[in-house]
Amino acid sequence: LNAAPGRAPRQRIRFLPTPAPGGGGAVELVAASVPVLADHPLVRGPRFKKLKIGAGHRLDVKASGVFVLGIGHGNKLLTDLYNCHLTKVYTVGGLFGKATDDFSDTGNLIEKTTFDHITREKLERILAVIQGTNQKALLMYSNIDMKTQEAYELAVKGLIRPMGKSPPLITAIRCLQFALPEFQLEIHCLHETQQYLRKMVHEIGLELKSSAVCTQVRRIRDGVFTVDDALPRTRWNLQSIQEAIQNCQLRVETELEKTLA
Amino acid sequence: IQDGGGLRAVMAGLARRLLGRGLCVAAGPPSSRQLREAEEAAPVFQYAGKAAKRKDRVFVWGFSYSGALGIPSFVKPDAGWKKPRRIQPTPYRLETDEKISSAACGYGFTLLASNTRDITKVWGMGLNKDSQLGFQRSRRDQTKGYEYVLEPSPIPLPLEKPQQTRVLQVSCGRAHSLVLTDSEGVFTMGNNSYGQCGRKVVEDEIYSESHVIHQLKEFDSRVVQVVCGQDHSLFRTKKGTVYACGWGADGQTGLGHYNITSVPTKLHGDIAGVNIIQVSSYGDCCLAVSDEGDVFGWGNSEYLQLASVTETTQVNVPRHLPFKIGKVKEAACGGTGNVVLTEEGNVFVWGYGILGKGPNLIETAVPEMIPPSLFGWSDFSPDIRVAHVRCGLSQFAALTNRGELFVWGKNLRGCLGTGRMEDQYFPWRVTVPGEVVDVACGVDHMVSMVRSFT
Repeated sequence: LNAAPGRAPRQRIRFLPTPAPGGGGAVELVAASVPVLADHPLVRGPRFKKLKIGAGHRLDVKASGVFVLGIGHGNKLLTDLYNCHLTKVYTVGGLFGKATDDFSDTGNLIEKTTFDHITREKLERILAVIQGTNQKALLMYSNIDMKTQEAYELAVKGLIRPMGKSPPLITAIRCLQFALPEFQLEIHCLHETQQYLRKMVHEIGLELKSSAVCTQVRRIRDGVFTVDDALPRTRWNLQSIQEAIQNCQLRVETELEKTLA
Repeated sequence: IQDGGGLRAVMAGLARRLLGRGLCVAAGPPSSRQLREAEEAAPVFQYAGKAAKRKDRVFVWGFSYSGALGIPSFVKPDAGWKKPRRIQPTPYRLETDEKISSAACGYGFTLLASNTRDITKVWGMGLNKDSQLGFQRSRRDQTKGYEYVLEPSPIPLPLEKPQQTRVLQVSCGRAHSLVLTDSEGVFTMGNNSYGQCGRKVVEDEIYSESHVIHQLKEFDSRVVQVVCGQDHSLFRTKKGTVYACGWGADGQTGLGHYNITSVPTKLHGDIAGVNIIQVSSYGDCCLAVSDEGDVFGWGNSEYLQLASVTETTQVNVPRHLPFKIGKVKEAACGGTGNVVLTEEGNVFVWGYGILGKGPNLIETAVPEMIPPSLFGWSDFSPDIRVAHVRCGLSQFAALTNRGELFVWGKNLRGCLGTGRMEDQYFPWRVTVPGEVVDVACGVDHMVSMVRSFT
């Protein structure tokens, strides 16, 4: 960043003494526009000594996926995006047959159970109920008076979601893969933590009269940012970061306008 | 004593010798191999076998002081310091001995019926002031009967072959009830002051503590559905004909007059010759659905239920309702509002009251569709459909194909089961721990038959 060409130095009109054209030691003042010495790189030093980087929604140590960061002035956009309360999408991998103390497969084993009675149909039934109760909670926490016509119209469009603090809510959940003992779910949620998703996997195991641990939590979408926009480890260089910021700028602006207007 | 380094070497050597001989165990955090071995050696618990069946349950909610919920501890608590529970705002499990296949809610009482061949097939609870639950002999005084039945009590039916006949369906009205069997016709009990039990009206008859259960067999074919309105009864036969008896001042018997009928008589009008596949009634208005998807209505029309065909407020002959909403699969009548379900799974409401489209829609004579997104339909789950619709006196219920129950309407004494006491102006999910198979709506309580998830 420091090697890139910076701003041109400021110019100032100075009256510099130059020898008179007549000669003989007389000095006359000539106006000249000269660069200000204070802007010279050797005087000022490197332009960037540190960068302010802010983090968006938290991501666990054991989880992976899209992680949004803001650089410099982008940190202001981070607060605005947080206030939009957009949903995040995770793929969560689970394993039947074990229960551990921290709900993931690296924890201390608490119990082992059988799981041969579990079918995809039973799992989908449980997921439908989870979705149903969370839909109810969505409407309840969004602080709209249920008796108004406005509440009815928002409910029809499906646009109701809490725009303030609320407990973790799941807006949609479905089963992507099911191969005993492993299964994979896609979860759309709001205000959640990754540990809450692991606990959800554990509770699904309990509902099915067995037990389950979470093997993988991967965020594939955070508001407007998807996995395609995210930069992998190999592309953490200035060029890619600048391209990524430019690609997302328009989308972020439209989303902020739409929601916070 | 040697210096520090030497001492440590001696101790290490000692530890290695003792470990090697198996005389002591190494302390410290277990290695991954030890963890894996401990895990494999752990016992495996089985909570459900491969052939585990889903259990059938009954959930009740609403006003409990009449005993209609069937839980005595709500009315008479079993400990002195506990307070009686007037309203059960959320679904509460009712323990039953048998699997309940049919339930019906009347005005302050409930009937539960099972498809079994055992002697006890029907249980009743709630108000019994008109013997709508049969004669319930009091245990304290053998000559008297109970006025309020607080828990599901068997109703003795005078069956000829009690160990072969099965009860198919039950239905409850304001103060009378009907029980439909597969081979012995229809049994009626309760108030008969308008002939709604299908027998001759006896002047000054005392209905409380009465043993009378009347049997009706004279229909043109086997009766397949019985429906109770407020003070009248409707019978639908296998051939598609409809019979009615009871009070007719609003024309709800559909027989062409406004008098009482005490013998089930066949209906004509627009349904003559039409194969009717479903009838419904709860208040004073009646609806019938034919096999071709047409809707016919008769009875009270003060709340615009039949205003699409006539301006009169009482219709005493079945009239075809020319709605252009598609083929109708199921209809349900409430006190002031009606609801139909079409073959595509859309729900249409009309009438008066809280119809389910927000507080602005109070009355309409023409059916209005409730958007499917209110029943859980979305791009994420596009195959959700409404499978059944039911009506209470001023509330509606809809069951989806995923087993979710949606209710809306006036929340009289907590009968909606949402947990709140406010009226609900658009369909709202009721959280039931299971897949809802069927629901019966009453005036101020509801009963649902549920299958557990696993």
